[in-house]
Amino acid sequence: MATEDDFGSQGERPSHPGLLDWLASEFVRRDWSLKQLHKLIVMSATYRQSSAARPELAAQDPNNRLLARQSRFRVEAEIIRDLALSVSGLLDVEIGGRSIRPPMPEGVASLGYADSVKWTESKGAEKYRRGMYIFNQRTVPYPMLTAFDAPDSSILCTRRERSNTPLQALTVLNDPVFFECAQHLGHRLASALPESPLKEQIQYAFRCCLSRPPSAEEAERLQTLYQELLTLCRKHPDSAAQLAGEQALGKEQTSGKLDTAQVAAWVALGRALINLDEFATRE
Amino acid sequence: MHPIDESIQRSRRDFLTSSASGLGLAALASLLQADGALAEPLQELKLTNPLAPKPPHFAPRAKRCIFIFLAGAPSQIDLFDPKPKLNELHGQPLPESMTKNVRFAFIQKETAVLMGSPRKFKPYGECGMELSDFLPHLGTCADDIALIRSLYTTQFNHHPGQLMMNTGVPRFGRPSIGSWLNYGLGSESQDLPGYVVLTAGRGTSGGASNWSSGFLPSTYQGVLFRSQGNPVLNLGHPPGVTTEMERATLDGLLDLNRQRFTAEGDEEINSRIAAYELAFRMQMAAPELIDLSDETAETRAAYGVDRPDAKIKAHRAGGPGQYAQFATNCLLARRLIERGVRYVNLYHASWDHHSNLNSELAFNAGMADQPVAALIKDLKQRGLLDETLVVWGAEFGRTPLGENRGGRKLNTGRDHHPYAFSVWMAGGGVRGGQVVGRTDELGWSIEEEPIHVNDFQATLLHLFGLNHLKLTYNFRGLNVRLTNQGGKVIKKLLA
Repeated sequence: MATEDDFGSQGERPSHPGLLDWLASEFVRRDWSLKQLHKLIVMSATYRQSSAARPELAAQDPNNRLLARQSRFRVEAEIIRDLALSVSGLLDVEIGGRSIRPPMPEGVASLGYADSVKWTESKGAEKYRRGMYIFNQRTVPYPMLTAFDAPDSSILCTRRERSNTPLQALTVLNDPVFFECAQHLGHRLASALPESPLKEQIQYAFRCCLSRPPSAEEAERLQTLYQELLTLCRKHPDSAAQLAGEQALGKEQTSGKLDTAQVAAWVALGRALINLDEFATRE
Repeated sequence: MHPIDESIQRSRRDFLTSSASGLGLAALASLLQADGALAEPLQELKLTNPLAPKPPHFAPRAKRCIFIFLAGAPSQIDLFDPKPKLNELHGQPLPESMTKNVRFAFIQKETAVLMGSPRKFKPYGECGMELSDFLPHLGTCADDIALIRSLYTTQFNHHPGQLMMNTGVPRFGRPSIGSWLNYGLGSESQDLPGYVVLTAGRGTSGGASNWSSGFLPSTYQGVLFRSQGNPVLNLGHPPGVTTEMERATLDGLLDLNRQRFTAEGDEEINSRIAAYELAFRMQMAAPELIDLSDETAETRAAYGVDRPDAKIKAHRAGGPGQYAQFATNCLLARRLIERGVRYVNLYHASWDHHSNLNSELAFNAGMADQPVAALIKDLKQRGLLDETLVVWGAEFGRTPLGENRGGRKLNTGRDHHPYAFSVWMAGGGVRGGQVVGRTDELGWSIEEEPIHVNDFQATLLHLFGLNHLKLTYNFRGLNVRLTNQGGKVIKKLLA
């Protein structure tokens, strides 16, 4: 149903009316349980198809309305944050409770109503809770969420836009929350297999972030990137110390036999991994 | 094609598989190549850019806009609309018939009395436009200005009023003027956003909702340039990341994303690649933009970039340094326009003078008068004024009645007045040197040429070659437009 905000005469006909009818009857039969319905959908053969493009379909069904393959979507704003927190090991998965206020860049909150917005940063593990718990200050929406098309929650929204902008790139590259994730991820990667050959470490890092093994080509490119980053970290020990942030993170022992430059290179590589298109995409 | 299909096609092609916030992709490939930033040209990526320049509906007069928003609402009675009769009747109550069905934000009707203005007005320019002694610099631009004394709105509180002025309706969720313009016309800027917001003073009541893209993709939202540190949020690298490391990282991302594109064939991946490259370009371009060292001493002095604040008590104005900040923002607005940015929104809050109006307004007017006049002259001298629309606006005006909240006897300020207020436009196809509309002797209501906020917006779009009835976005089954249910073009304002 392409016009899910308009089921009237101006709206488009659904692509699979029979399927919709069947799903509706299953929904009733399964006691009106949304959870059951979702499970039914995500376990279907149709849903579990690969999202890879098939040239023969490009002309016939460019928008994939007929579901001959899975669609490929950038995930929602809140989930992007959740993913980064998750791979870094920081995510607090507690369900329910009050809203949270993660770190807000300086000078943003003061733009609210006559400087009256008080954005008191959440403390402890609370600030690593899922993005859906971020407090919605209407005059000062959380910039990271806005950048990734989180809708204005004061009006109804049936489908989010999915834009693809440089501000999004800047957010994941440079926002302090994402950098903190990269640092923790880097320490995780650095300490996981310190005795193993680099190739295996790279494979591990890739699987952590993307839930699949890298292709030979991908593994090779990442290995090159790691070596480049390591060289630069060795060349600039001060930068490496900042990147590794060991003191701030209280992880002096993290790396065992690794030196600061190596930990820093893993942080920089982790930062690269969470910036990959695939990291923020449901395939 | 059926309009619905068309809109779906458009939303998929233009928006879902889109890229770049305010950044022109058209010229990207060659630029990056010229810089040696990319090993291979990006043309092969077949990028679709939602901000690529698009033709308007008809020949435009304006191509860029600088909208100066004096949030809080300046007193038109003390700046733009002289009322000798009001001075005569100073201290007297209004007849009950006039205030019977009127709601005020704070005034208590029973004891309210009229408040004259101590300002001296005099005619300026060949057109003889009367302006207050608080605006001597602006007076020298009178022949370029079309002063509207008969604007009205439906809102008497700040936030709804600001949303009304910016988005056409007094509620959250609609795109602002700058978003509509970028949606309709794209942007000519190659490495800066198409819609930039500069602020001084306190936060506005509406905050970021004033430059929201509403239901339009976030590609079209206003990007706030901050006055301190990095102009754009998250523009700077995290601690320890050097430019060399950043380049190595971006090159790695480019290769890995491309490998994924080979496997998945999703155009969105190419948009991501472009977005990262443009982010890198923005990191290079933004510092140059805010570096004013290549401006001449005369220019800096004309704008008053280095001026100290006036020594006037003004607790609402937003703390020390406002004069320099506001002047700097005016100069930055010109630099942004020069670099092809479509819409620059310049905010200063607050002008909400419920008390101590004389001194507070003296401070604020002193802050704005010189730089705004310098901006008009600078644009004109550079041949940019013809195609650049400059707007001075606010959410409403202020009452001819003195504010008397809490039974206060001494009237030192004015309340919110939505029924008649003054804004002006200059350049961009506007017929300057004229006053449009007339209010009654007290400045209470409009006697001639009432202009609704939606009319004002329809006229603004018209100057850009856009028919406000045709610039629509299909949202929730409706073709929604900036001017909501209203709007008519005010022909008198056009050159």
